[in-house]
Amino acid sequence: MPEGQLPPITRKSVFDTPYQHFGRLDRFSKLGLASIAMALKDARHEACSELRDMAIIVSTTYGCLHTDMDYFDTVMPEAGKLASPALFSYTLPNSFLGEASCRFGLTGATFVINEWPSMGLSGLKTAMDGITFDEFENALVGFCDPGTPSGFENKPGMVPGSLFFVIDKAQNSEYPPYGTITLDGKNVILFNGKRIRDLAHLAKECVSVNA
Amino acid sequence: MNVIVTDYAAVTALGSSLEELWQGLLLGKTAIQPVQRFPSSHYRSNFAACIEGLSPSGKGSMTHDLLNRLASQVKDVPPDATLITATTKAGIDNLEKLKRGTPSDRNDILLSSIPESVSSTFGLKDVGFNVSAACASSSIAVARAAALIRHERVDAVLVCCIDLVTEFVFSGFSSLGALSASPAMPFDKNRSGLSLGEGAAFILLMSEMRAQREGRPILGRITGWGISGDAFHLTAPARDGCGLIRAIRKALGISQIGMEEINAVCAHGTGTIHNDSMELAAFHSIFGARKPSVYSVKGAIGHTLGAAGGIEVALGVRSLSEGLIPPTVGLTSPEEAAEGMVSSHLQEFGGDYLLTTNSGFGGVNSALILKRGISA
Repeated sequence: MPEGQLPPITRKSVFDTPYQHFGRLDRFSKLGLASIAMALKDARHEACSELRDMAIIVSTTYGCLHTDMDYFDTVMPEAGKLASPALFSYTLPNSFLGEASCRFGLTGATFVINEWPSMGLSGLKTAMDGITFDEFENALVGFCDPGTPSGFENKPGMVPGSLFFVIDKAQNSEYPPYGTITLDGKNVILFNGKRIRDLAHLAKECVSVNA
Repeated sequence: MNVIVTDYAAVTALGSSLEELWQGLLLGKTAIQPVQRFPSSHYRSNFAACIEGLSPSGKGSMTHDLLNRLASQVKDVPPDATLITATTKAGIDNLEKLKRGTPSDRNDILLSSIPESVSSTFGLKDVGFNVSAACASSSIAVARAAALIRHERVDAVLVCCIDLVTEFVFSGFSSLGALSASPAMPFDKNRSGLSLGEGAAFILLMSEMRAQREGRPILGRITGWGISGDAFHLTAPARDGCGLIRAIRKALGISQIGMEEINAVCAHGTGTIHNDSMELAAFHSIFGARKPSVYSVKGAIGHTLGAAGGIEVALGVRSLSEGLIPPTVGLTSPEEAAEGMVSSHLQEFGGDYLLTTNSGFGGVNSALILKRGISA
């Protein structure tokens, strides 16, 4: 996937209704939360007033490192006197998963997977396993990376952005899915029977289904 | 397929091995002391449990020294084991150095550096991946490992967890008002916050079939696991413990046992007012009138963040095999809801099952059920 420029992410560009916390989120969280909101909307899962046992599993390389750097900038000047609790709250890469849980009423497992090279496939396999093993009914799975922080190596193949999928155990009869993902005997992920290289490839295949 | 703990190791501020840690706990010792590693005069506390002599190696993070100390206790690691690590901040000490203009290896700052280092340190073929879920990171890593073995995806998984005491983390918890000005007092009515700690743990899990085939010791079993979110608040736990209750119920379901079979609970027990109250609310909801022994090790080794769950699993397995519940160090006067459950004394324990729980930022909760192994 070619690297582009991330657009600014505003509350109005993602949510139709007021969302008091959104402006306070760090860049990583805004990006991930926006992507989760879009995935839920696409899957017709966003409008639900009840708690749901949906898991969220996200892969990331740099995670909230931008926020880590911003936070430590508040620690250094006065030997910690001015350390920002608001920034510190977002120095864990799973923070935005908690934010998404609150926003959308999701009570399933939430965690971050870090691997390199990060193709997001470990997260997808973990989510598929969780559904197969009856640990949860459905899951949001994806990747989120706001880009390479200044001074860090630009990892080949890593592009700034976020992409989430909703995977369900059972097909929602009202809204047909893009397709079916399975594991073959060699633990390779297949989408509609075709081998998947990474999550961006999976997205392209999904889009091509409706083309 | 049954999931067996065939080996474990830990390095904490209370000892350079699990044996030293265990003996220290039984004696009611604490490793929480005034911090020497960085100036702490501007923070709410100057206490933490730091490992003596832990140091960076050249441009490298202190994580390398800690992993080497852990590796020195372990032998016969199967090279074909799947690797899952857990950390919240990896070599964040290197970010501090970088920001202060001291040469440092940037790669150590990335969470993905931990599986890379562990794979190389233990000579594994698998490069693995890291799980990050705040203070539940390593218990979730153990849960994933157990699920893979139970469902016969793989037959051996190495779980390795690690986190450091750094000014980055210390200042953050201080800014949130979460640090106790004195060493942590879990479940005490006068508790006022947590003390940070650092450590690493190694847990080798195998299918029972492989463990028996290779003549590995059956130290303990992982029989159930559950993970659940509060969907309540980013940094504060749900007061009624709803997320933790769901996680424990899931774990009991997978374990196919009732709550009456759980005789002891290794709680998260950070010593913060809200965490400990939330946990007690969850335990009362699950156990009703029953009062299993509940303990916390965080008054002894501090809160080791992403490493906490893994260290507590190793200690829980030891607790089951010895039939002993360590004292809750720091406890002097239990809060009302904890009376009859927690103790500052060593207790005997006769059950076969022990529950361990962890909860963290983002409202994540985990529960693991451990079963007694076969005594040597």
